[in-house]
Amino acid sequence: MPVAERTFENPEIVEFSTDILIIGGGMACCGAAYEARRWAPEGMKIIQFDKAALDRSGAVAQGLSAINTYIGDQKPEDYVRMVHADLMGITRDDLVFDVGRHVDDSVHLFEEWGLPIWKAKGSEGVPLKDGGKPVRSGKWQVMINGEGYKTIVAEAAKKALGAQNVFEHVFIAKLLLDKNEPNRIAGAVGFSVREYKVYVIKCTAAILAAGGAVNVFRPRSMGEGMGRAWYPVWNAGSTYAMAAEAGAELTMMENRFVPARFKDGYGPVGAWFLLFKSKATNGFGEDYVSKNAALLAEFAPYDKASTVPTCLRNHAMLKEMKEGRGPIMIDTPAAMKALAAKMTPEEIEHLEAEALEDFLDMCVGQAAFWAGMNIRPEETPSELMPTEPYLLGSHSGCCGIWVSGPEDLSSPAEWKWGYNRMTTVKGLFTAGDGVGASGHKFSSGSHAEGRIAGKAMVKFATDNKGFKPAFKQDVKAIVEEIYRPVRTYIEHKDKTTTEDVNPFYITPKMFQMRLQKAMDEYVAGISTYYQTNKKMLEHGLHLLKMLWEDSLHLRGKDLHELMRAWENRHRLRTAEAHLRHILFREETRYPGFFYRADFPKLDEANWHCFVNSRMNPETGEWTMMKKPWKGLVEHSTQKKQVEHSTQKKQVEHSTQKK
Amino acid sequence: MPTFVWTDKCDGCKGAGVAACMYICPHDLMKLDAERMKAYNQEPEQCWECLCCAKACPRQAIEVRPGADYVPMGGATIPVRTDSAIKWTIRFRDGEVKHFEFPSRTTPVGSIDPYGGKPAAGNLNDQRFFTEGGKTLPTI
Repeated sequence: MPVAERTFENPEIVEFSTDILIIGGGMACCGAAYEARRWAPEGMKIIQFDKAALDRSGAVAQGLSAINTYIGDQKPEDYVRMVHADLMGITRDDLVFDVGRHVDDSVHLFEEWGLPIWKAKGSEGVPLKDGGKPVRSGKWQVMINGEGYKTIVAEAAKKALGAQNVFEHVFIAKLLLDKNEPNRIAGAVGFSVREYKVYVIKCTAAILAAGGAVNVFRPRSMGEGMGRAWYPVWNAGSTYAMAAEAGAELTMMENRFVPARFKDGYGPVGAWFLLFKSKATNGFGEDYVSKNAALLAEFAPYDKASTVPTCLRNHAMLKEMKEGRGPIMIDTPAAMKALAAKMTPEEIEHLEAEALEDFLDMCVGQAAFWAGMNIRPEETPSELMPTEPYLLGSHSGCCGIWVSGPEDLSSPAEWKWGYNRMTTVKGLFTAGDGVGASGHKFSSGSHAEGRIAGKAMVKFATDNKGFKPAFKQDVKAIVEEIYRPVRTYIEHKDKTTTEDVNPFYITPKMFQMRLQKAMDEYVAGISTYYQTNKKMLEHGLHLLKMLWEDSLHLRGKDLHELMRAWENRHRLRTAEAHLRHILFREETRYPGFFYRADFPKLDEANWHCFVNSRMNPETGEWTMMKKPWKGLVEHSTQKKQVEHSTQKKQVEHSTQKK
Repeated sequence: MPTFVWTDKCDGCKGAGVAACMYICPHDLMKLDAERMKAYNQEPEQCWECLCCAKACPRQAIEVRPGADYVPMGGATIPVRTDSAIKWTIRFRDGEVKHFEFPSRTTPVGSIDPYGGKPAAGNLNDQRFFTEGGKTLPTI
């Protein structure tokens, strides 16, 4: 019989096996590919899937103007302390330290591969690894000419793996568990967004590192500006959702990041504060952080950290805004004037170029906003604004998946049950935005963490050489689940005179807007000034539950929309985890990011602990857990007591079925 | 703030097999209308304005038009990328034009030899990267 022609309705099913499967193409997965291939013996197969093109995928696709984590001649212990304090005391010291002791090695590779890194006067041309001194824009940050950062890192990864082993424009939608051994990864399923092909892959080990979650909440701009998010809009929560649905334990999913950025363009403020020494004030010229010191003292001891935690600075800013003392302004002209006072005309011109390069390298939209508004930073101050919430684990946030840490540190046994960066699902690893309770990795730390996971996966695959993965469901059923939005569309599209309004299905776009509206109004979005309470959260959960039921009726009118359908399903699952964690943690740990209005205070005695959760993949029931925190270095905020005793009891607060 | 494509400049990358913008967009936005052989942004409100498409376009046919829901008209930010540098033209609404050029890479494109001159893999059971063979890792 001739092979039937492959069409949208009749895709080819491509099945194959690999030892190691890499899901994602950003910094973490490029690091994993690079390190794993070197350790893997000949014949050990490693393949990578990226929903876009490796050269320009992930959070660094556009470029960056700084590498935010480079230890240099400082101590990894101090990096651990900074991360701990900024994230209000609940981070995993073992994971953060592990990134800190490895990260410079990745930065040195980037420079060797061709990334231009700024050098201080006197060490121009000297590589960092040979003692070259970087230009620091902050204690841990170094300035770069990073427009091509990702293309460089991707070139190394692709060459390491072999281009034939990198599958681009393939979206992985679901992890598949093993039939014979509970709680073990057996593979994944996805589809090409270019060809009519569904991929069903078996593997021994997998790394899932496909970014954070953006556009889960209603953003401040709802027209064309909706995509001009702060974090990349293509981060759809796939990492958290797929891990949760495979039964992996999540941690700190209540944490979120609300960056205060240049309003609307969302350009970075780091260089403006750290490099150009700009001051931010309320609408009446008052320094809102020092003015509100008493307000911040309610969140002691974190208000006295060497750098005031990001959420507390937001907290002070929000007080000014709520009480009508906006807009919040950053005085760029004064900063540039102060710097220019000591400069030659050439140096001043260079300074102006540096100021704009900061945007052009990593946030062109901010430069375009200034051009459209006739804003010149040397003449006109700019407005700052806290954004809609973002979920991520690699930048200044720490939600993610609970993983095993390095075995050579003095960490509790419960933090190193298995292979480094392995989740609670056997054989499933993560890194970057995927690893929870260890923020401030940024681009370089994510690459290094991917390398840590890459090596550990090779060890796992070596130790499990005889493993024969087998799926629980048959392949046909797996494919039909993935293709359901297409079947729905084809079955119903002709029943109404316009295909976008049809009672039998929901478009991915409207599905996303429904999610954003529910999250914004009930789960501490911008419209409530980031406030919520138990009742609001319970109503929000009710709305999400109905949205989940309706996800069975998502439409996929073409391959592009099929991907949007799955991305938004991932957003919904991620949103659900975020909501459940906020509901469980009965305190306000991150004022400025969100407020439990019914528990407005920090509660160190009861809540200085991790919150973990697990969704049972068979029943859809969630279990919420407290996990004790322990410091592995002395923290100035925890002097009296290194270990907080927290109740170890597991509390179930929900029995929502799938 | 979506990208747009100049009709007279875009040739759909005919002869190249795949449109450069369609290949490179991280969010699957750029689409080729095969009949007209012209590319377009199929979901403008999902555009991150990263300009990966504009930088990859061999005919400089793609620009970004600032988001109509919050930016006044008339500004422009136009990149021209080479293998080692990126040049920017910034046009303000009031007509002022500024040019900038920044380096983007110190080595030739395609020149990375990922494992060339690097140590072989060492002990799979310790915590070191293969590049850290001679190093003693600190612990806490």
